[in-house]
Amino acid sequence: MDILKELMTYYSENGAYIWTEFYRHFLMSAYGVLFAGIVGIPVGILIARYSKLSPWVISFVNVIQTVPALALLAVLMLVMGLGTNTVILALFLYSLLPIIKNTYTGILGVDKTLKEAGNAMGMTRFQILRMVELPLSLSVIMAGLRTALVIAIGIATIGTFIGAGGLGSIIVRGTNAAEGGAIILAGAIPTALMAVMADFVMGWFERLLSPANSRKLS
Amino acid sequence: MKKRIKLVLVGMMTAFLLSGCSLPGLGGGSANTIKIGTVTTSETQTLGYIQKYMIEHYTDLHAEIVGNLGSSIVMHQAMVNGDVDISAARYTGTDLSGALHMDLVNDPDEAMEIVQREFEEQFDQKWYDTYGFDNTYVLSVRQDVADKDGLEKVSDLESVADKYQFGVDNSWINREGIGYDEFIKEYGFEFNKIYPMQIGLVYSALNSGKMDAVLAYSTDARLKQFNLATLEDDKHFFPPYDASPVATNEVLQEHPEIDEILQKMVGKFDNETIIELNYQADIEKREPSTVAREYLEEHNYFEDN
Repeated sequence: MDILKELMTYYSENGAYIWTEFYRHFLMSAYGVLFAGIVGIPVGILIARYSKLSPWVISFVNVIQTVPALALLAVLMLVMGLGTNTVILALFLYSLLPIIKNTYTGILGVDKTLKEAGNAMGMTRFQILRMVELPLSLSVIMAGLRTALVIAIGIATIGTFIGAGGLGSIIVRGTNAAEGGAIILAGAIPTALMAVMADFVMGWFERLLSPANSRKLS
Repeated sequence: MKKRIKLVLVGMMTAFLLSGCSLPGLGGGSANTIKIGTVTTSETQTLGYIQKYMIEHYTDLHAEIVGNLGSSIVMHQAMVNGDVDISAARYTGTDLSGALHMDLVNDPDEAMEIVQREFEEQFDQKWYDTYGFDNTYVLSVRQDVADKDGLEKVSDLESVADKYQFGVDNSWINREGIGYDEFIKEYGFEFNKIYPMQIGLVYSALNSGKMDAVLAYSTDARLKQFNLATLEDDKHFFPPYDASPVATNEVLQEHPEIDEILQKMVGKFDNETIIELNYQADIEKREPSTVAREYLEEHNYFEDN
């Protein structure tokens, strides 16, 4: 009970600070996933088309995923120095696997007969991609972005070790303070909350964009 | 068309990452952002935020905290690389042995003089005069024991030390030049028994009566929390760890007003003040940023002097 009371006092006294760190934390995660989406979705489409490339690309991003987060950050720090950009690059790299893999699976999963129908109607390859393949695989791609964002929010907490701030700084401060249990919770709860919220919102988008719904919308 | 937009975006992103510019929402452009480095301790964080708010109060510049750096060596490296412009607090003893690879010096003024000279020469950085506090080893006893045995200085322990249990930091006992053996040689007495432990435990061990004297850190908030007395190191056995801000000459030349701001802070924080600020952060569990803001508002951002 004591710890709950401490937690409430902490929130009421440091509200503004927590909010800035929360915002910062979210922005770092979102930028990482955004850039990974900008790079990953075209790459996914590309390897779905040229299937010879796919094992190479997929095993490459798989290898990235196996590097421990702290090690990746440390290596990137040597090259890029301290700060938010290094964290964003790390999150970018971690987000590539779910995004590329889901795009690849989504595009391959589109019914061949539909593509052939498009072809028969005289559509160009780009038109088939834009009007058939992408709309039908959009919800799978969104699922990739959703996974990536949730992972990114988790990993962004260790960004504090290279001076990027974020909710991780609150957690680390709690581990350094004597009897800092309440401070650790004060940092961990918003992080978990953000991940759950991101999962929920992205899940909502995913359902909205699924082929069954898009027919209703149009 | 879409591909081209994507290409442009990818290009922009690479440019952002490589140029070291900040993305929207994560701090302003690098030219007008002053980066202040802090390590994990509350006192450097509070001082860092005080600097940040001072800079934002007196100038139009934006200041950003690069926090939770692993050690003062990491901070030093970050300053040399240009990732950090100002160190919130650096300690003479730490930098003598760490960044400069020199031997510790027992005279505080001499130590200060060396770091100021060497940092100017070797790293083109300005080491300011001390804030007014030092975070060094200090011998501490319970207030009632100090009153009863009439203890004020470390030498006063000589007559009673053979009855005292002495709790110390694990890493101190065998430290070369300033360890327990040298302590015995310098002060000429031994404690009854010596108990090495984690530094964080010595305060409660002393408070609960399990120890009669401990070797503590001189700015730890628990000295205030448990109302412990500290004894003057009358033979200057422990090396000085006076704290000062450090800034790169580059940032000072570019923004001379920062020099004035840091000068304003010199000499304004004695040990008592720092313990009070640490107390608010560590024991009352308030964020250093909140503590710093309140302190500055209370002191009117040092505008009067």
